[in-house]
Amino acid sequence: MKSYNTTTIGKSLLLLLLALSVQGCLGIGNNNNSSSNGPVGNTITTNSSGNKVSVAQNLFKGKIYFTIDHNLWVTDGSSASRELIHGGNVYDPAVSPDGKWIAFIASFKDFTNLAAIPAGGGPVHILLSGYGHFYNDTGIIKNTYHWFAQPAWSLDGTHLLFLSDLQKDFVWYTLGGVFKNSPFLDLQVFSIPFNNPSAQPQVIAYASYGDGGDRDPSYRPAHPNQTPEIVYTHYAYDQTGTQQVIQVFLADATAIANHPYTYSPVSDSGVPLTPGSVQNIEPAFSPDGNAIVYVRRDTSNQMSLYVMPVPEGVTADPNSPTAEQKALQPYNKSSHILSGQYVSQPVWSPDGKQIVYISYNNSEFDLWLANISYNAKTSAYSLQGNPIQLTSGGIDGDSRPFWTP
Amino acid sequence: MKQPVVNGPAGPARSADSLQSQRLAYGQVPPSPNQSAITSFPRMGATPQTPPPQNPGMQPYSPASRPNPPPQPYMAPMSMAAYSRAPLAPMPPGYPGVGGPPPFGQPPGKERKKRRFPIWARVAVSLFLLLLVVVGGLAGYYYFNLATPVSHIVGQQVTRLKGDEDPNASRNGADILSGPRVNILLLGSDTDQKFANGQYLAQSDIVITIDPATRKVGMLSIPRDFYINLPGGGMHKLDEAYGLGGVALSRLTIFQDFGIPINYYAWVGLDGFIKVIDTVGGVDVDALHPITDDNYPDDVGNKTGDINAYKRLYITPGPQHLSGPEALEYVRSRHADLVGDFGRSARQQQVLSALKTKLNNPAIIGKLPEISNDLNGYVKTDMQLTDVLKLLNFARSLDPNSIQRLILGPPYSASGVTPTGESVVYPDCTKITPLLAQMFGLGNNARCNIQANSNNNTSSLASASQPSATPKAIPAASTWQAASQVADIGAMSIGGSSDNLFGFHSLLDLMFMVVFESPDAMQV
Repeated sequence: MKSYNTTTIGKSLLLLLLALSVQGCLGIGNNNNSSSNGPVGNTITTNSSGNKVSVAQNLFKGKIYFTIDHNLWVTDGSSASRELIHGGNVYDPAVSPDGKWIAFIASFKDFTNLAAIPAGGGPVHILLSGYGHFYNDTGIIKNTYHWFAQPAWSLDGTHLLFLSDLQKDFVWYTLGGVFKNSPFLDLQVFSIPFNNPSAQPQVIAYASYGDGGDRDPSYRPAHPNQTPEIVYTHYAYDQTGTQQVIQVFLADATAIANHPYTYSPVSDSGVPLTPGSVQNIEPAFSPDGNAIVYVRRDTSNQMSLYVMPVPEGVTADPNSPTAEQKALQPYNKSSHILSGQYVSQPVWSPDGKQIVYISYNNSEFDLWLANISYNAKTSAYSLQGNPIQLTSGGIDGDSRPFWTP
Repeated sequence: MKQPVVNGPAGPARSADSLQSQRLAYGQVPPSPNQSAITSFPRMGATPQTPPPQNPGMQPYSPASRPNPPPQPYMAPMSMAAYSRAPLAPMPPGYPGVGGPPPFGQPPGKERKKRRFPIWARVAVSLFLLLLVVVGGLAGYYYFNLATPVSHIVGQQVTRLKGDEDPNASRNGADILSGPRVNILLLGSDTDQKFANGQYLAQSDIVITIDPATRKVGMLSIPRDFYINLPGGGMHKLDEAYGLGGVALSRLTIFQDFGIPINYYAWVGLDGFIKVIDTVGGVDVDALHPITDDNYPDDVGNKTGDINAYKRLYITPGPQHLSGPEALEYVRSRHADLVGDFGRSARQQQVLSALKTKLNNPAIIGKLPEISNDLNGYVKTDMQLTDVLKLLNFARSLDPNSIQRLILGPPYSASGVTPTGESVVYPDCTKITPLLAQMFGLGNNARCNIQANSNNNTSSLASASQPSATPKAIPAASTWQAASQVADIGAMSIGGSSDNLFGFHSLLDLMFMVVFESPDAMQV
C-alpha cells in the first residue's frame, strides 16, 4: 500500500494550482473547436477557419446538400460525403424532383448567376446571369447588374422559382411616393421555365419597397390538383416606416399572372400566415404540404423552430379581411420544437420524420437533426429526444440546405 | 514533548528543490486532530517550538554526501483511536494549527522533520512568485510587443500650416475634458493600395465638439464631396484635402472654410477595421433583414483605380459569419433601411456585440500583438493614450439623446455637376453658417468661405490667424437632427469590461467611432 507524506501532498496541490493557473492564463480547456466535441463521423475537409469538418453517419436517410466555404457538398446517411462544386461560391442548392439537376446560385462581386449542373456531374449551365455594368445617367450612377437567389423547383420540375431584382428599373409611377423616383432594389419572387430560361420571367410575388424584399420561396408540395401555392418570407415596414414587419406569407403562384393589374408591391398577392408583431422567417413545407416549419426570433439572442398547420382556401382573395383573419388562425396552433441562440434554415426530411437545420454552437454554424413526431389527436408536432449534431467544424450559415430521398 | 521525526518513504533521490522544500518545513508543528492544519498564515519569524533535533545543520544538499535513508516499511494509516491516544505537543496560546497526529502515511515512533513554513504558506509564496512572474511577463510583453505600436498610434503631432490657429495654445495644458471647448477632427480613409505613396482620400470628415463645462457634445458630418476651396489649392472636393496635404491641410481647410479651430485629430484607415475583424476570426451575426445597396462605395480593395467607384451589396438575412470586409459592408451601408441610421446603428451594435464577445475571450491575449499591428498604421491621433481613454470613457457616459448632430446633406447642400463634369455637393452657406455658429460657439467667427477667389484665399487666411470667439455652450437647435437618428456612441463601445487590454479597447473604440460614422459624410 502506498503512503504519502505531507510534502508530497503539498507538492501535488501546488502543481495542481500551478496547472490550473497556467491553464486559465492560456485559455486551455476552453475548447471552441467543436470538432473534438462533435459527433463521431467522417472528416470530409478542413474549412477556411482551419477546422476539420466532420459528418456523423447513420443518422438519417437520403442525401443532404449543403455548402462549406460556399463549395457544394452532398452527404448521405451512410457513405462518405462528396464535394460536387469547388470554388464556385455556391449558395442555396436545390435538386429537381426527378433528381437529375441541381440548381444553385453562383455569387460574384456585384451580381449572381442562377445556374444548374447535372446531379451526376457535368458542366455548369448558366440559366440567368446577373452580369452587367455601371453607367452614368445624367449624373446619377446606375447599373445593369442583377441579383438572383434561392432557387426552388416546381412540383413537376418544369419551372424554377427564384428571387431577383429584375424589376429594379421598373418605375411604379402609379404608386407615387418613393416608387416614382427610386430604383426597386428589393428582391421579388420570379419564375422561369427550366428548359427555356431566356423566356420572360414571371413575377410570382411582389416585395415591399425598402426592406430588402422577399426570401425563402418554395412551392407547396403534394397538392397537385389544387391551385399552386408558394410560401415565403415577406420583409416590410409598418405604416410609420419605422418598425420592421417580417412575416411568413402564402400566395397563389398564378395570381399575378392570371390577374394582371390587380396586384402590386402595395397590394400583394400574398396573405400573411404569421402576425406582424413577431418576426417569423424561413418557412419550409412538410413533404405532405400540410405543415410549415419556420423560425421565430424570440429575442435578439434566441431563435426557435416552430411547426404550424397550413390554412386552406386563403389565397384566392388575399387582401380580404376574412381571408387574412382565416390565414392567421393556424399560427396559434404552432408547436414549439426547439430553441437556440441562432437557429435557421430548417428543411424537412422526405419522410417528414426529421428536420435538418443550422444551429450556432461553439462559435460555429453546423447542421443538426431534430426527430419529429406528429400527434394526430392534438394535431401537434413535437421533438423526439434531443437534437443531434450532424456536422461539426463549421459549415456556411447563410446557405439553405436541401434534402432528397 | 517532542514529536518524533519521521523520515519519508524511500524513493528516488530528491532534487535540490524538493530538499529545500522539505527544509522549509522544519519547525512546523503537527496539527491538532480537531483542527484544520491550515488555519491562518503564521507570523513571519515565529520561533519554532521544537528545533529540529536530527537536522541541526542546514547543510547544502549534496546527493553524494547524503545517502538515501534505509528503506522503511509503509505503514497503514492510524485509526482515529490511535490518534486520540497519541501524545500532543504543548500548544502555546494563539499558535495556529498546532497539535495533531503525524501526517497520513508516516509511521509513528520515528523522528520527524520540523517545517518552518506550512505547506499552505509555501503554496501562497509560490503563487505570489508566480504572480510576480506573470505581472513581470505582462509588463515585458507589453513593452516588447505593444508599446511600440501604441507609440506609433498616439501622440502623432502634425505641424500646423500657416494660418491654422492652434486652439491648444490657449488651453495652458488643460485636461482634454476640462477648460475651454475641444474640437476633434475625425478623418476616415480607405487605405488600400490604389493610391500611390499613401495619398489617401479622407472619405469621412467629422468634427466632434465637446464643451467640458456643460458636457454638451455635437457632431458635424461634412460630405466628402463638398466642393470647397482648399487653401492654396483652389476648388476641390473636401476628401481631396487629405490626399493633397494630409491632416495639416484637412485641419486648415476646416478652419479656413468654416471657422472651426481643431484641437486634435484622429485618422482611421478602413483597412484597419477589416484587419481587426479578420484577426479575431470574423464575427457571427443575425442579419435582421436583407441588405441591398446599389451604390456602396467601392473604396476598399478596389484595384481599378477609380476612386469614386461603387459596388453592389446583397447581404442575406439570418445568422451568418462575416469576414472583415463583409462586416465593414454590413455596418457601413446606409441605403438598406427605410429608417436610415436607425437600422445602421442596430447593425453596428450587432457587430460590436459580436466583436466584444471575441475580445473578452482570454485567448485574445495571444492576439494582442496582431491587433496592435492591425491598428498600427491605420489609426493615428495627436492625442495621448490617456486623452483617448478619458475621451472614450466620457463618450460611454453620455446620454445618446443629448448628442446634437448635424449632417450637412440636404437641405444644407445640393448635388450638382462642375463645369468639368465632376459630380459634387454644393454647400448652402446661408443655411450652414448660423448652425455652425450655434454648434461650435463661434459667434461671428463662423464662416462659409468656400469659394476659391483672391479675396477668399487671402482674407480667409488672414481671418484664420485671428483668435476665435470665446466658446459658448451648445444651444439646442430644432434644425439639428436628433441624436437618436444616428448611431449611439455610448453603445458603440467595446469597453465596459474590466480589462481595457492596455488601452487597446479604447483605441478600437476610437476606430469604430470613425468607421461607423464615416458613411454619413460619404453618402449624404
